[in-house]
Amino acid sequence: MEKDKIIIDYKHRQAGHCESGATSNLFNFYGVEMSEPMAFGIGNGLFFSYLPFLKLQYAPMMTFRNFPNVVFHRSMKYLGVDSTVIKKFKDQKESMAALDRNLEKGIPTGMQVGVFNLTFFPPEYRMHYNMHNLVAYGKEGNDYWVSDTVMELPQKISSEDLQRVRYAKGVFAPKGKMYWINSINKDLDIKSAVEKAIKKTVYEMLKVPFPLNGVKGIHWLAKDLKKWPKKHGNETASFYLGQIIRMSEDFGTGGAGFRYIYGAFLKETGEKFSNPDLMAASNLMGNAANRWREFTYLSARNCKNRSKPEEDYGKLSDMLHEIADMEKEVYVKLDKIKI
Amino acid sequence: MENESNPVYKNQAYGQFRELFYSYDKDGKFEKRVGYHGEPDRVTLQQAWDHFNDRIEAARQKVKAGEASPILYYMEKTLVTAMDLSMHAGIIVWRIKRHLKPKVFNRLGEKTLKKYAEAFNITIDQLKNVD
Repeated sequence: MEKDKIIIDYKHRQAGHCESGATSNLFNFYGVEMSEPMAFGIGNGLFFSYLPFLKLQYAPMMTFRNFPNVVFHRSMKYLGVDSTVIKKFKDQKESMAALDRNLEKGIPTGMQVGVFNLTFFPPEYRMHYNMHNLVAYGKEGNDYWVSDTVMELPQKISSEDLQRVRYAKGVFAPKGKMYWINSINKDLDIKSAVEKAIKKTVYEMLKVPFPLNGVKGIHWLAKDLKKWPKKHGNETASFYLGQIIRMSEDFGTGGAGFRYIYGAFLKETGEKFSNPDLMAASNLMGNAANRWREFTYLSARNCKNRSKPEEDYGKLSDMLHEIADMEKEVYVKLDKIKI
Repeated sequence: MENESNPVYKNQAYGQFRELFYSYDKDGKFEKRVGYHGEPDRVTLQQAWDHFNDRIEAARQKVKAGEASPILYYMEKTLVTAMDLSMHAGIIVWRIKRHLKPKVFNRLGEKTLKKYAEAFNITIDQLKNVD
């Protein structure tokens, strides 16, 4: 047994968001101090998209985060770090062998997985959600040691189970995707990376010429929300409303659909480069995040009492419009900032 | 709120799972805290699972009444649509929809049944019998 045991000295830290947590932990492993909000911000984690024509677990899909693997990929690109991303393996056995080879070389390796068959996850969270990330850092016999940043402690998972979750099917199927850092140059140019990242986030939230993305998407969602009770009846309307809350509060968001984490990122950069404009933007973001929180608390009442809504959907919709305007203010401010 | 006893979540070991949350207070500070989920999350998760369980129960009744094949029940149980199942099992969607009829399902060969059983991660005997 001793021969099969490889455990890399990798520090597991809990984080709000799975992928930025994994990215920041990987940075820390290579000796670059990076907090989770920093990794999230540089990796363009913040996003909003409303996709009513796609259904996730019988309700319209909306996402508060960017597509899987964007956080890792962009933070590597902006910081100029030498890293490898393998998008897919055709052969499932080969993907596990590649993971073993990496572990033997002492490289902690990140992977995209589906949540549904993840054995250590609490049962109530096991839905078909394929954008989860974890980092394998050790192997003991047939079991792998993985660091799932949503969990408090590192977890053990058997080889068969890991293979199954790596090949979960459905929307955004992971297809065995894995990623790792090859080498890192210790004096990174964080300033230019932050500049590029903020520019990109502002572009994605304000300027994408597609009405369901970013701030425009939130407005669209608010418009639709008003129509749900009439269109689908109270039961379904409250189920759809529940989907907004599930996406913004559950599934490792750190609360309020990642807005808190982004606010923390703005604050950290503001302190680092002593830029008062960034600090002001972080305060605005914090307020918007608090407003999201209020929105979820109010709408949860409708989900509790499903057939008789306690809160008026029109009021909730107005609240969403207000949130969208609050967020827009932040992005407009960020657009003009020179770091 | 944290020690609120909720019988349903107790069964599912809800109490053991703590996540990291961020928050923003009036002094302009972002803080991290490790804790249990709040009220909205519990309510909406409960709502989602109630919805799924209703669907599973409805499917079970349908299968028992001979209106649908066990594939429908297992589809609901694993929360997949015909589209997802098609990717899992490697069978195209309209064939899956056809296999939902009990008459067609009963004529299926071992090979196709095995594909379904593997996709649902169960044995063929379990696939044929809905408890």
